[in-house]
Amino acid sequence: MSDEPARILMAKTSLDGHWRGVTIVERALREAHFEVIVLGMATAEEIVRAAVDEEVDLVGLNLGGRSAVVERIVAELRAQGSDAPVMVGGVITPQTKKRLESSGIAVFPPGSSLEDIVATARRLCEHSAEMKHEAQ
Amino acid sequence: MSGIEEGACLDGEPGNAGLREGAGRTTAPTYTTSSGIPLSAHYGPGDVPDDHWLKVTAPPGQAPFTRGAYPEMYRSKPWRIFQLSGFGNPEDERERIRFLLEHGETGFLMEHDRMTADHLYDVDHPEVVARRDDVGLTGAVILSVDDYETVLDGIDIASTYAHAGGAVVQHAPFANACYWTVARRRGIDLRRLAGTGQSDFNLTYLGCINKVQVPPRDGLRFNLDLIEHCTRYLPKWVPVSIAAYNAADTGLNAFEELGALMANAAEYLDGIRQRSKLEVADVAHGVGGVNLRTSMDFFEDIAKLRAARSMWERLLRERYGVTDERARRLRIHVVTAGSAMTYSQPLNNIARGTLMGLAAVLGGAQSLGVSGYDEAITIPSEHAHQMSVRIQQILAHEANLTAVADPLGGSWLVESLTAQLEERAWEFFELIQREGGYVATLDSGWLHQRASAGASLAMDQVENGDRILVGVNAYQDDVSPFEVEGFEGTTDAWDRAMTRLAALRRERDSRAAASALRTLEGACRSGVNIMGPMLDAVEARVTVGEIGEVFRTVFGNWDVPIVF
Repeated sequence: MSDEPARILMAKTSLDGHWRGVTIVERALREAHFEVIVLGMATAEEIVRAAVDEEVDLVGLNLGGRSAVVERIVAELRAQGSDAPVMVGGVITPQTKKRLESSGIAVFPPGSSLEDIVATARRLCEHSAEMKHEAQ
Repeated sequence: MSGIEEGACLDGEPGNAGLREGAGRTTAPTYTTSSGIPLSAHYGPGDVPDDHWLKVTAPPGQAPFTRGAYPEMYRSKPWRIFQLSGFGNPEDERERIRFLLEHGETGFLMEHDRMTADHLYDVDHPEVVARRDDVGLTGAVILSVDDYETVLDGIDIASTYAHAGGAVVQHAPFANACYWTVARRRGIDLRRLAGTGQSDFNLTYLGCINKVQVPPRDGLRFNLDLIEHCTRYLPKWVPVSIAAYNAADTGLNAFEELGALMANAAEYLDGIRQRSKLEVADVAHGVGGVNLRTSMDFFEDIAKLRAARSMWERLLRERYGVTDERARRLRIHVVTAGSAMTYSQPLNNIARGTLMGLAAVLGGAQSLGVSGYDEAITIPSEHAHQMSVRIQQILAHEANLTAVADPLGGSWLVESLTAQLEERAWEFFELIQREGGYVATLDSGWLHQRASAGASLAMDQVENGDRILVGVNAYQDDVSPFEVEGFEGTTDAWDRAMTRLAALRRERDSRAAASALRTLEGACRSGVNIMGPMLDAVEARVTVGEIGEVFRTVFGNWDVPIVF
């Protein structure tokens, strides 16, 4: 991994404006020296566009609604040539958590530890950097 | 010996058995309440200030009401079992409300779809279409008064207290007007209609901020219009219900929650005084029904409810010179903290709900909603909802809790905490005034910073292991795990709402609807009370999105002071 800080895009997929959780995660990521771009409440298309334009290493989604949007975003990222992994937090049913995890998406429901979130972000960003390096 | 027994039998210093690796207390324990008030190992008469003893010599039902709103409390006025409910289509919401009422709920709260109701968007708005899967997840999709008719069909609204929806300020005028219209069509005398639309600033501008909404100053005008209208025409309706709950669940601590509550109320009452059409005493009842949170600090939460009543009485007496004692009585709706409910080991939340509900009862609440045990997972399943009602019924009937008012009155600890919370809350109130008042602290983001600091502190305490949460940072490995399947609601809410919307636009008198919207826009621009024109617009079957278009045109969008 280069000395440049890894870059994470954070966005909310729904129009639910609760902000307590996302700002706590954002703070933890910044304190862990990530560069965090906060997109706010955005559509799947807006999230993919920002991730591609900003060449982020990781996309963090706050889910306040249903979850099919996550797979849509992953598919569209890949279609547009971005290998950025996706991690998800928010109010997520156990059955949805299992489904997303089975497709390799890290899921952090309420009560997740910040330490775990940061460690996962670090691991995923390193992986992302290796992929970029191989692509070059 | 299992980890649970080992951890539980230790005195003071929690053991590390069952704790996640790396968790566990890193510093010597300090004993404080969750808002940071230091706790002694025991309390005595010297811990209660003399002026506080004077206050609590007044029995329940007498000013300053510290000991209770009513003389006999639950003997004469059982608390209302009052649960948030709603999802999917109007029919789904109606069935859930009926289910709860049949199982012993004594009032009902309508939850509306967050995207369409809170944002005032129709279901064909591009922002909604882009997220059509989400529609109906957080509440029913209510497009017009027609959908209110559907939800309320078969529900006796003449004698059942209701929260009509409209928790978000810009939605409240429409939501209230729809509910009142259904009542009027049924021949109910609106002067006798009881309920609330809430219209809460703490939700709207602090805890859950919409992508698009009218700025707080215009929201304040809406609420003053509502207060004026209800005082004249619907004296039993609570036009605004300040939900300090939402401030607390965003991160404000107990005394900040109280200080913000009083500062919010002062903003409304100052506004009424400036309009000089009504006396503060006339509107006091309408503003004096509030919503506080109980969470997992049992004695502090009880003290908080007692302090709230005392502060309210003082605010109305000293700041507004209200002489009628009854007009200085605060009524409190308690919702147990959603944020205290855990995702892991969800059945543990039944114990948490019971404790938080017990604190509400011992603090003298007038109505109560207990969060579902699946709160952290999804919207409540029918079973979780039923459980919340059952918890309340057990509290009401089984443990002999209701015979005596203010049973903890005179406890040195509880009186000491009540006095200290009140003192600190007034300091916070003054701090808000120095920042320009409650609305100014929302516009500037000052209050958001305070909440954010509180939320971070609470998170750090769990992260460091200074605060133990069973199943979260301790005792995670259940020998016999029990998984709750998250309730998914219905998935056809968007499709069916699109069909209803098309039919509505086809069938209604479009000229009458357009004319009513023009009149409403004129009222918005002129400063005339909007509730008259809003009622006419509702009668002309305008949609929630059309109301939103008017508001967005006239008032624009709030420049939100935080990024998230």
